[in-house]
Amino acid sequence: MEDIRYEMKGGHWRLSAGKAVYWEEERALIVADLHVGKAAHFRKAGIAVPGNIVEEDLYRLQQLITKYNPQRLIVVGDMFHSSANNEVQYFRIWRNQFPHIRFELVTGNHDIMDPSVYASLDVQLMDTLTLGGIYFVHDPKDKPVNGGGLYAMSGHIHPGVWMVGNGRQRLRLPCFYFGVEGAILPAFSAFTGTYCVEPGEDSEVFVIGGTGVFKV
Amino acid sequence: MKNTPGWQAIEQWLGAKGLAPFAFQEEAWEHYLQGCSGLVNAPTGFGKTFSLFLGTVIRWINENPKDYRKRTGNGLRLMWITPLRALAKDIGRAMEEALRELDVPWAVGIRSGDTPASVREKQKRSMPEVLIITPESLHILLAQREYPKRFEHLETIVADEWHELLGSKRGVMTELGISRLRGLRPHLRIWGISATIGNLDEALDVLLGNLPGERVIVRADVHKAIEVESILPDEIEKYPWAGHMGLRLLHKVLPVIMESNTTLLFTNTRGQSEIWYHQILKQCPELAGAIALHHGSIDAELRIWVEEALHTGTLKLVVCTSSLDLGVDFRPVDTVIQVGSPKGVARFLQRAGRSGHRPDAVSRIWFLPTHSLELVEAAALKDAMAENMIESRMPVILAYDVLLQYLMTLSVSEGFEPEEIRKEVQSTFCFREMTNEEWHWCLSFLVSGGEALQVYDEYHKVHLVGDRYYCTSKQQAMRHRLHIGAIVSDAMLKVRYMTGGYIGVIEEYFISRLSPGDSFRLSGHNLEFVMIKDMTVLVRKSKSKKSIVPSWNGGRMPLSANLGMMLRRKFHEAMAGKAHEPEIVILQPLFELQQMLSHIPRENELLMEQIQTEDGYHLFVYPFEGRLVHEVMAMLLAWRISQLHPITFSIAMNDYGFELLSDQPIPVDDTNADELFSVENLTTDLQSSVNATEMARRKFRDISVIAGLVFQGYPGKSKANRHLQSSASLLFKVFEDYDAQNILVRQAYNEAFFYQMEEARLRETLERIRNSKIVITFPQRLTPFCFPIKVDSLREELTSEKLEDRIKKMTLWQ
Repeated sequence: MEDIRYEMKGGHWRLSAGKAVYWEEERALIVADLHVGKAAHFRKAGIAVPGNIVEEDLYRLQQLITKYNPQRLIVVGDMFHSSANNEVQYFRIWRNQFPHIRFELVTGNHDIMDPSVYASLDVQLMDTLTLGGIYFVHDPKDKPVNGGGLYAMSGHIHPGVWMVGNGRQRLRLPCFYFGVEGAILPAFSAFTGTYCVEPGEDSEVFVIGGTGVFKV
Repeated sequence: MKNTPGWQAIEQWLGAKGLAPFAFQEEAWEHYLQGCSGLVNAPTGFGKTFSLFLGTVIRWINENPKDYRKRTGNGLRLMWITPLRALAKDIGRAMEEALRELDVPWAVGIRSGDTPASVREKQKRSMPEVLIITPESLHILLAQREYPKRFEHLETIVADEWHELLGSKRGVMTELGISRLRGLRPHLRIWGISATIGNLDEALDVLLGNLPGERVIVRADVHKAIEVESILPDEIEKYPWAGHMGLRLLHKVLPVIMESNTTLLFTNTRGQSEIWYHQILKQCPELAGAIALHHGSIDAELRIWVEEALHTGTLKLVVCTSSLDLGVDFRPVDTVIQVGSPKGVARFLQRAGRSGHRPDAVSRIWFLPTHSLELVEAAALKDAMAENMIESRMPVILAYDVLLQYLMTLSVSEGFEPEEIRKEVQSTFCFREMTNEEWHWCLSFLVSGGEALQVYDEYHKVHLVGDRYYCTSKQQAMRHRLHIGAIVSDAMLKVRYMTGGYIGVIEEYFISRLSPGDSFRLSGHNLEFVMIKDMTVLVRKSKSKKSIVPSWNGGRMPLSANLGMMLRRKFHEAMAGKAHEPEIVILQPLFELQQMLSHIPRENELLMEQIQTEDGYHLFVYPFEGRLVHEVMAMLLAWRISQLHPITFSIAMNDYGFELLSDQPIPVDDTNADELFSVENLTTDLQSSVNATEMARRKFRDISVIAGLVFQGYPGKSKANRHLQSSASLLFKVFEDYDAQNILVRQAYNEAFFYQMEEARLRETLERIRNSKIVITFPQRLTPFCFPIKVDSLREELTSEKLEDRIKKMTLWQ
């Protein structure tokens, strides 16, 4: 998983093809939309999606943790897909490998489990999080930035873009989106789709293709 | 036979009306009474319904000669499977009339998606002697507790319009439904009714499976006279080279409509029918009240009203789609107009047969081209009809999605004993080659979710109770019952006035692109979108002059092989100056332009055109084989070229040819053209060239819905299940990445290769090209042939460049 260096708001960021951002100054790994428990939720309802997606997702997260050695993991919402199920138990075991890393969850619309469950998983819950001038939020439409020159970093929409080339070529790829007021991170889980955003004038977009990240 | 009381009763009844049975009807009765199963091949309007229905009545009278006039409540005797709800009413009415006049107190019931709940409840308590049913409703019956009781007296199954069901997964549903009923009632007689198709014998085998005993095909030896008349533009030079609406010829159609009693105007898509309806009303406001619209998205009640009105002759014109294709007997209809190419001989014949719906009447059909070259198709259709070149319908095999749905159906009602059902399933044509391993995979997909159990797995669907598999979750059972069927459409929303009043249904995809205040057209109404509430689109009447017409997805039929061959012959004849049909003669200026700019291929030639425009470098090729074959051929050619050096193509096609478009010059000339069409290494080249993944992904869309993997929500209850929503393409992605052995993914690839790629037909085409002369031209501007392809916006892609390199050359779409 390659990454690309990016400077923004006075910070140094690494945008990884593993669909995560590492913030060097704060030693924080940031991801969005993990949706742990989604496959299990489907399977419980009799819809036979593959049961090993969560293992692969968490393995990729583990590789990212090993590579960047962060002190904290910030999840900007939808860490879990729905009510507690056995995939959440799988997560509990996986979580035990990293007792030294703080897991912080800025809750999203899917994070509906009882707060005691998060506590037992050693995951701190928060509505929003402000750190070094960055405002972490799941969906800034619900909880807008309240002044102070803060820059939002969010998830929720699973951003992607259409790329076009000569000869009417088209490609749809997930992306990191840096707009004027905030950034949107790609959805982490492999069991998520993409929603195509229309990039604004002063925005910067990095697409993920194969094992690379590309500025476009 | 003829001196049995039943036969006598029928003969007397007909005789009293001054009628006598047709020879094929008597033949069918005889075979039926002898205990045979089989197929009746007869065109609509010749008494095909009575050829089988009256057989069962004769049998009943023969078995109860003394008291057949008195006996009621005899249980279900005859199940009449029909592909279209619209047909059920009509057939039911004809049967009831006959029964009344014969003094046989049988009840005739209808069971379809439109049947009201009160009637269904009544049927539960007491089944009518005759039940007219759709394949879906048959499966819904099988999904109910104690279903075997309902079929205790069943003797006969008839699959009407079997040629319509044959090539589809609804046909597979019929096969499976019959296999279960055969399991319950081993001595069933099974019959089909089919219009003429290229593979009647196979159609019989598919319907009957491995049913023992004698099987026959009864042919009605009647010839129906059909006249085709093309509507020609006054100035061919000004008629568009591309397009699919045909409205420019509207003024020429109006007199035809006015001079007729009742006209059916067939369009190929629902969107097109809305626009035609609107435009005709605009031109002839006096027709208001005498003109109606009929397509699949229109409120069922309204559709029934239209059908009734067609019977009574109160309508002057109905604008319709394939929703009125099948054998409904609308006697007042004397004119049929086809807008745009019907793409196949069989469909055209069927539509023509909607008029002059009597044995001796001439069927007249008008053909209206939507762009110039389509006129050649009219000429080709005439010849194909004259030579009786009617297409075959390829039966669907090994449709595991339908099987999984069926097994779930059985497990929500009475459960199933696996060995018993395996034998029944393998007795069908569709699954006769299913291996036991595949059967076990299907079972384990239902029981354990398809893969090795993990400790933390909570998969739950079907499980063993004693020796039978059941689904014990009420919630899953309810969800399943609502999902039975093999027709997959986009999520549909109901459309209702704010003040109440149901208008029809519309695809969610379309409405999601509208903002409140926008106007759109549905069922001929101009509507303003207000909001979506509880899966219902609320609207009010709009006064806006500008409104959007929904473009419903699907409905792009490919040209059949038969028609393609005829087309090539027509072009050849036109070149040789041998053509005398008015359609070809009028196209002469267009041909001359094509010849001047490029070339017109003869029957033994293949034309390629290389043109450069601001879009890039175009290579057009014209095999005239229909869009499906062209899609694969274009991929193959693109791949073979891309082996010469890294290049990316965008690919477009229509029924006449295809286009490769690139940002670099395309290295094709007469030194290497022959090689590009070689049959050598075809299979391996195909596997590496065709974007099988993309094709399979598209096929997976239907498969995932039919197999119950994509949950579309309950009607009216959208919110409760938000966490269970996913798209078929996402599921395809995760199956590909995490469960590659999945049989449904394999089915998607098989469907792509067999049904979409039609490898056999492609091979034939390449053989033909090998014996043809390849002509390459370099026109200075776009030609009449290439123009319709170039403006097509649905495109495929093929590349030999690395993803990373491509991204670097691309820009963001804004």
